[in-house]
Amino acid sequence: MKTFFAIAAAMLSLGSAFAPAWAESPAELLKSIDDLRSIPDMRFEISVTSFEDGKQKDYNRMWGFIKASETEDSRILLYFVEPASVKGRKMLMDGNIVYLLFPRTRNPIRLSPLQVLLGEASNGDVARTDFSKDYDVASLADADLDGVSCHLFKLIAKDGKKDSTYHSISLWVEKSKERPVYAEFFASDGKLLKKAYYKDYGPAEGKDFPYTMDIYDGENPGKHTTLTYAKIGCLVVRDTVFSRDYLEAWTAEAPQ
Amino acid sequence: MKTRVSRSRPSEPTASRQAPAARIAYIASRLALGALLALVPASLASGLETEAALDVFPTAALGQVGGMSAQTETTRLLAQVATSHEQSLGDGLSLSGTFWADADSLPSGSPLETPTDKLRISSRLLELGLEWEALPGQLIVELGKKIIHPSSGFFKTPLNVLSRGSASGLIPSTGAAVSGWEEGWVGADLTYLTGNVTIANFFSPRMEWSDTADQELKYVSLQQNEFNDLLRLGLKIGSADLRLLALASSGGPGSEDPDLHLCLGAGADTNIGDSLTLRAECSVADSQDRLDVVDEKLLTSAQESVDWAPRALAGFTWTGPNELSVMAEYYYNGLGMIGSDYDRLIDYSVNRSSLPGAPGPDLLDQFGGFEAARHYCFARVSGQLETDLAPAIFGVLNLQDFSGMTGVNLAYTRDAWALAGSIVDYWGGKDTEAGLSQLLWSIDLQLSLFF
Repeated sequence: MKTFFAIAAAMLSLGSAFAPAWAESPAELLKSIDDLRSIPDMRFEISVTSFEDGKQKDYNRMWGFIKASETEDSRILLYFVEPASVKGRKMLMDGNIVYLLFPRTRNPIRLSPLQVLLGEASNGDVARTDFSKDYDVASLADADLDGVSCHLFKLIAKDGKKDSTYHSISLWVEKSKERPVYAEFFASDGKLLKKAYYKDYGPAEGKDFPYTMDIYDGENPGKHTTLTYAKIGCLVVRDTVFSRDYLEAWTAEAPQ
Repeated sequence: MKTRVSRSRPSEPTASRQAPAARIAYIASRLALGALLALVPASLASGLETEAALDVFPTAALGQVGGMSAQTETTRLLAQVATSHEQSLGDGLSLSGTFWADADSLPSGSPLETPTDKLRISSRLLELGLEWEALPGQLIVELGKKIIHPSSGFFKTPLNVLSRGSASGLIPSTGAAVSGWEEGWVGADLTYLTGNVTIANFFSPRMEWSDTADQELKYVSLQQNEFNDLLRLGLKIGSADLRLLALASSGGPGSEDPDLHLCLGAGADTNIGDSLTLRAECSVADSQDRLDVVDEKLLTSAQESVDWAPRALAGFTWTGPNELSVMAEYYYNGLGMIGSDYDRLIDYSVNRSSLPGAPGPDLLDQFGGFEAARHYCFARVSGQLETDLAPAIFGVLNLQDFSGMTGVNLAYTRDAWALAGSIVDYWGGKDTEAGLSQLLWSIDLQLSLFF
């Protein structure tokens, strides 16, 4: 019943907010924004650096693949390159299921999503190339962010995604370029978990891609993590590559 | 942990007891270790990955001196180095391997069994294999030496039915069942991945050689005394993983045990929400040998064969805020004793420990650490004080006599090195499994270097 009222409320708010302003629905607008930067079979090198009160606390450099799908959860393979103490670790993120294979061990360990935090970044942050798949638009409005005219989306996790890392998201999208620039991520009790800035947009496989993502802790802004993509390419691999039993066999190579 | 693991690796003669040919091999092994150590700086430039670890263990044990109990303390030094590399040879073809060596001042791990030689040197080729993706991402063929560990258990691993144990004989001071370095099996592995199903089969042949040849080959590989065929089936059902396995093994014609033996296993793990993972697994072997007490007062025993004794584990890991992690596991050991049989085993061990000269075999030792009883539980709480500093406290409880072991571990990890300290204490009455352990406490200070 609660779900019904939530959807009904969302539909009412969308109905009142959009009819005159946009030709396409809020969901379609969000989808088109996602499409501008979504690379379905992405190969990448990424570095994740964590800071606390201005001091670097942690650093990881990884190679990986993302397999995005319209209907299924995104799947990611990661190989840890740096630092030396973690080199050789392999990780598979299959939606909410995460496996980690340590060097010289032969059985991937299943981790809970909370165990996968890389600084302030969760697997969802690394994986997310789009919002429209996991979230419904609850409302859409105009907003100004540091002098930039933006769409402000209020997103709520879809019914089947209620166990997503974030229950709801406020997303600011620069109107002129249709680029996400800032987002706030909330827990189901309304608590602000994280804030993220999307920066350094550039071309990647024909898309307009944010090469840098700065994520701040919702409670302690002194804690923040920067995700930086160094290389981005496209490589189509079999679905079976994104399986627990392939982790052991995977010979990771640096993306070209 | 207990020192009973010494049974799991073959004894290796120390230099002072060796024949001339063996002496040469022994010296050669030391040169090999020196060469391996020289690989450390070389690995920086060559792409080899090297990990070196130095463990210092102050340890105390209770022994018999002139019919009186006396505490003996010693410090064990263990240096290990392992060099690994994985090389792509072309499209879908790769070669990988790990070579390991150690120098150990107290291979038995017990202050009551000090060696005559200063250091025992050993080395092994832990893994070396050629991997070919015949159908990329779908059909994988591996030839060579590899480790197969299907178990998800932390404290015990019932599904690791094909395992040699720690290469150094060292039991991790973290409470984990699996150590960092273990030797694999030479064989051929075929893996087929399709959708949510994986089918794999590993065959390893019997590989034996003469004692003379073993004087040199033992620095490269242990022998394989039987044929093994391990069939594994992996299924993903919803968010759960299910694993089934069957191991058939035989010494083959002309061996000490030519009969065919079977071991079956099943395991599953899944997530609940963002913070909880659950796991359960069980294995059962058609027959396992053990020594049973005949008379606990006369200290006599007899070998028995136990059919289809299951080993099972169920556990969870819960992750909370600030990387707090709580793990608990229950372990059912079908080969262990319970009721009056367990009481007799304990009585036998109490009587044996009170007599000088230790008449009769050590029946507790045959089981290994925390394996003599039927029911155990394990718990571990760990966290992160700083990004680099991770404390953990863990404990094992024998649910039949309420003896156990408690440990504290603190690890400080930097990019290229890590420093860890552990203290392990055994506790329980004189008529309990842990109370009968000769080990009283041990400290492990470990420095690891990554290149």
